[in-house]
Amino acid sequence: MLGKRTIKGRIGFAFAVVMLVCFSLLPFAQILSTSLKHQFDWGNPSLIPQALNLNAYKELLGLTEVKKVEIPVAIQKILDNPKLPQDKKDAIAAKYVANDNLFPFGKYMLNSIMFSVGAAFISLIFAVMGAYAISRLRFKGQVVIQRSVLFVYMVGGVLLMVPLYQMAMNIGLASTMWGSVVCLFLIYIVQTLPVGMYMLGNYFRGIPFALEEAAMMDGCSRTEAIIKVVLPLSLPMLATVFIYCFIIGWNEYLFASVFLKQYPEFHTLPLALQELFVSKNAIWDRIMAASMLTLAPIVVCFLFASRFMKGGKTDGGVKG
Amino acid sequence: MASISLKNIVKNYGKTSVVKNIDLEIEDGEFVVLVGPSGCGKSTTLRMIAGLEQASSGDIVIGDKVMNDIEPQHRNIAMVFQNYALYPHKSVRENIVFALRRLKVDEQELQRRLVEISEMLQLEELLDRKPADLSGGQRQRVAMGRAIIRDADVFLFDEPLSNLDAKLRGHMRTEIGKIHNKFGRTSVYVTHDQIEAMTLADKVVVLHDGYIAQAGTPMEIYLDPVNIFVAQFIGSPSMNIVDATLHNDYLQLGEHKLPRNKLSAVSFDDEIPSEGQPVKVGIRPDFFNDKKYFTQSDSSFIFEAMTIELVEPMGFDKEVLFNLAGASIKARLDLRSDVKRGEKLDLLIDLSRVLLFDTNSELRL
Repeated sequence: MLGKRTIKGRIGFAFAVVMLVCFSLLPFAQILSTSLKHQFDWGNPSLIPQALNLNAYKELLGLTEVKKVEIPVAIQKILDNPKLPQDKKDAIAAKYVANDNLFPFGKYMLNSIMFSVGAAFISLIFAVMGAYAISRLRFKGQVVIQRSVLFVYMVGGVLLMVPLYQMAMNIGLASTMWGSVVCLFLIYIVQTLPVGMYMLGNYFRGIPFALEEAAMMDGCSRTEAIIKVVLPLSLPMLATVFIYCFIIGWNEYLFASVFLKQYPEFHTLPLALQELFVSKNAIWDRIMAASMLTLAPIVVCFLFASRFMKGGKTDGGVKG
Repeated sequence: MASISLKNIVKNYGKTSVVKNIDLEIEDGEFVVLVGPSGCGKSTTLRMIAGLEQASSGDIVIGDKVMNDIEPQHRNIAMVFQNYALYPHKSVRENIVFALRRLKVDEQELQRRLVEISEMLQLEELLDRKPADLSGGQRQRVAMGRAIIRDADVFLFDEPLSNLDAKLRGHMRTEIGKIHNKFGRTSVYVTHDQIEAMTLADKVVVLHDGYIAQAGTPMEIYLDPVNIFVAQFIGSPSMNIVDATLHNDYLQLGEHKLPRNKLSAVSFDDEIPSEGQPVKVGIRPDFFNDKKYFTQSDSSFIFEAMTIELVEPMGFDKEVLFNLAGASIKARLDLRSDVKRGEKLDLLIDLSRVLLFDTNSELRL
């Protein structure tokens, strides 16, 4: 077996790769395409819009002028009725003038960033400490903890949703706004911590302990040795774990829908998207534009983090 | 600068005892080499001095301070690791000055020391490289530099040369010797290579199975080993050990009778010389000589017409193998002997170099 490639084989392989990539990327192309199409173009199967329509994006990002909503003539007549008390008139007018068709995308995005970045950051800190402990320290029950860490991850969210919500109710957290927010943070951290710990633990095991010992001989405490030697060497894995936790939080719908239902000011993007789908504002270009904008941070985040993901950082430190 | 004293050091891992009882005094400025086969506890002892392992019992005193519960970073000890343990994410320069930066040493002083050390170890060209871009020998020099740039009380070396090829090892051995002469710091050096032990040490400590078998100057260890283990461990090729019988006037070694009164290295106290007692005879290969090129003296003994079974030329000297009293014996002869395989040769030894060991305890008589 020389691994010699024939022309036919090469073409076949290339074709398979292209097919696979297309299959993965087509949904995204569809989202992008629809978000840029005018209404008359929606039925057109072509991915390229006949005329570019950026209105949906402008609207979502709040770049359009606030539309003055015309009060329908019939309603105007009611409002003109002098017998109607002023406060009733205001209430009716407000119902029609209020710009509730506007989708406060920026706010949802900030909420999503707060939850996912916050939870990912805290999760990462705990994961570093936990992973270091299970990979380096010897203590009673170490193996049990190490193995049971992943067990948490095996239990699906749906199973735990109701008991978790009940627990949160019982201790009174779910009845306040901030309590619910804290609950959701805790849930995201607990959900992401096991895998983060597992990935980091394996990575730490690959860093020779002699490097830490060398740092200790050079005058570092153990904590300093971790900060100055282990963490810089683990940057690729730290970035990976951070992105993993971030994406879990960013896309999470189930728990957010339960805990944040009553608190629209804390709604995250997945929740808001779901609401957008079923609202009277469910217009294709707007839904797709919102989806696109929800996707974007993940892609940016990944591109940014991939700079840290260059492997082989521990090469050359030790021999043998 | 500090002396080190190890008092009844014991180290157990669970039920296995690695270091069983070590009592050792190391003087200020002394270069001590701990040597022994794998698993004898030499590295563990070193790591206990460093503070990387905690002794199960006993005291470690450095200077006049008991160090048992002091963390490694507060012991002011520099260490060179067997696998170098350079920080892969830092340049050579940052690797070397890492400890100084931590101590917040004045920048000018830091640069001065960096220049001095990098000149001494020929690292000037490499300062901006990462460890991954260095060869084994270069990495070794960086590891040395990182240790000696500090103003440490004690230097520890954990088999620093074992990963280098033979030629580089010889070179670095000389360099370490020079560095010690220049700085004169108390040093503890662990190796399983007896040549490193012999050449570098002020004091060699031979460890065996968690105990100190013998401690002394290299020549003491070489000429006056306390038991068969030390005798065979130090010296290359290792000492020949042959079974013999001790009689009132002579030592019966195969068909040879060695006059007992000339065995000046043996102290016969009253209990030993019972007639017909079996003993083990130790003769270093280096003490055999070709009779043709050696003048006999009063204490010489000649093994006549030994049949040479094998000749291994080594350059300046050659090792020859022959049979004596049923054992295969190695002798090291110099350039002048041109003996061939199968020839007969008269071999001369100085009886004052012949050692006797007890058959059971394997201790020197």
